[in-house]
Amino acid sequence: MRTIASPVVTLLIATLLAGVAAQQPTAPPPPAPQATPAPAVSHDTVRGAIRAIDVNARTVDITSGVGFAIHVVQLRLPTSLPITDRESGQAESIRLGELRLGDVIRASFGGQAAPFVAYTFERVGRMVTGVDTLP
Amino acid sequence: MTRVAVKVILVVLTCAAADCKKPPQPGDPLGGLSAAERARFDSGRVVFESTFTAEVGLGPLFNGSGCAECHEDPVVGAVGDEVERHASIFHPEQPGFSCDLLAPQGGPVFQDSVTPALRAALGIEREALPPGVSTAAARTTPDVFGFGLLDAVSDSTILSYADPDDRNGDGISGRPNRFFDGRIGRFGRKALVPALREFNDGAFQIEIGITNPAVLDEGTVTGRPFPAGTDPAPEPELNERGLVLTDAFVRLLAPPAPLKQSREAKQGREVFNRAGCAACHVPVLRTGDNPIAALSHKDVAAYTDLLLHDMGDGLADICFGLATPNEFRTEPLMGLHLGTQFLHDGRAKTPEEAIDFHGGEATRSRDLFRSLPAADQAALIAFLKTL
Repeated sequence: MRTIASPVVTLLIATLLAGVAAQQPTAPPPPAPQATPAPAVSHDTVRGAIRAIDVNARTVDITSGVGFAIHVVQLRLPTSLPITDRESGQAESIRLGELRLGDVIRASFGGQAAPFVAYTFERVGRMVTGVDTLP
Repeated sequence: MTRVAVKVILVVLTCAAADCKKPPQPGDPLGGLSAAERARFDSGRVVFESTFTAEVGLGPLFNGSGCAECHEDPVVGAVGDEVERHASIFHPEQPGFSCDLLAPQGGPVFQDSVTPALRAALGIEREALPPGVSTAAARTTPDVFGFGLLDAVSDSTILSYADPDDRNGDGISGRPNRFFDGRIGRFGRKALVPALREFNDGAFQIEIGITNPAVLDEGTVTGRPFPAGTDPAPEPELNERGLVLTDAFVRLLAPPAPLKQSREAKQGREVFNRAGCAACHVPVLRTGDNPIAALSHKDVAAYTDLLLHDMGDGLADICFGLATPNEFRTEPLMGLHLGTQFLHDGRAKTPEEAIDFHGGEATRSRDLFRSLPAADQAALIAFLKTL
């Protein structure tokens, strides 16, 4: 494999990795005048396929990823959380026990560690048949 | 005016009238790029060619220290001699989600190299397969030429070639693979990944151990977290601009120009059609709308339908998404003349051997090829070697 070492190339690579360098503080940051506490709960969304369901624990494992970088997100669904079925184009409420492996779901969630707490949970299709709409 | 000068003028005029253009060489960009697109292509090549070290984020597990360590022969973006290990567990009794791609264990790609820090911490030379997985599938390094055009083919075009129940009775029943979110896949030997950008972003983490804004998690060692101190570079190890430029380079690489066809090769093209090869290796796909003019509404001589087909028990290895162990995406034949090994695992050393390994839905075409007169067989191979 060729290794590029011209000054221009070196500068470009340094720029691309500069994000890394910039994240390494050389000195402690000054205190913010009106510091707000860091949020206790991080928020995220996931769209993927159900790989496991534990109805008793009310947890659902979702496979998702980027390319071949695949990961699992484990969600806990509070009993009060409505599960919406949009697979047929309608918006109907379904029970946790009606979900199946391979269902494509879309969820928002928060928390510090798995299982994360789901805020919204929708079935949008089946992996085998695809989905009606994309986000 | 001398006779020589007249000849030169005639050649120039003839060439101008025929819109003579030098065909792209392997590694060249698509024609018709804007200056800005060309600049991104050139900058992306630099990222693609760069070598990462542990200090800037390589590993702790990796298959290569940069894209071009594998995609390198004869030029950057082409094939390589590296062979990867992919694994999964097939549960045919579990309809709807029968393929476990080992997501909790870090996914289906198992890396063959470790950084010195990880070696010192765990005493390993490569990532082990998870318990219960005894064998891995081999995957060779494909070239990435023309992938931007494949990305620009619409889902509806791909679906137009699907015939999962073989309703036309031709023995060919292609179907699309789908990613976990239901989108139609097209990249990878089993067509799992829907989009080129996602394939590239994921590859940085999976193949080089370089986290980025799309994949911030470094992953695991067969499901276990990396020991403290083995991944000193903070995440992300490559920024968004690095991803964008790399994607631009791969996306804008021109497909390899076919070689000039001899009379024998032209006859071989007819044999290719007669033998039914074109039923799956669809000669030309048309791209759809695309923000990049050089990718929009173009014909790409890819020789694939981007669908899954049953290739028989002889080639079967692992499941991947909806793809069963027997199913593989029709391998694009564009750039075949640059290949040094063939099929997904490189078991075939010649195109003839590759044809011979075809089974399943391709059995009929394979047998037709075997029954052809030697001259027709030679013509077909001559044709393939021009692609």
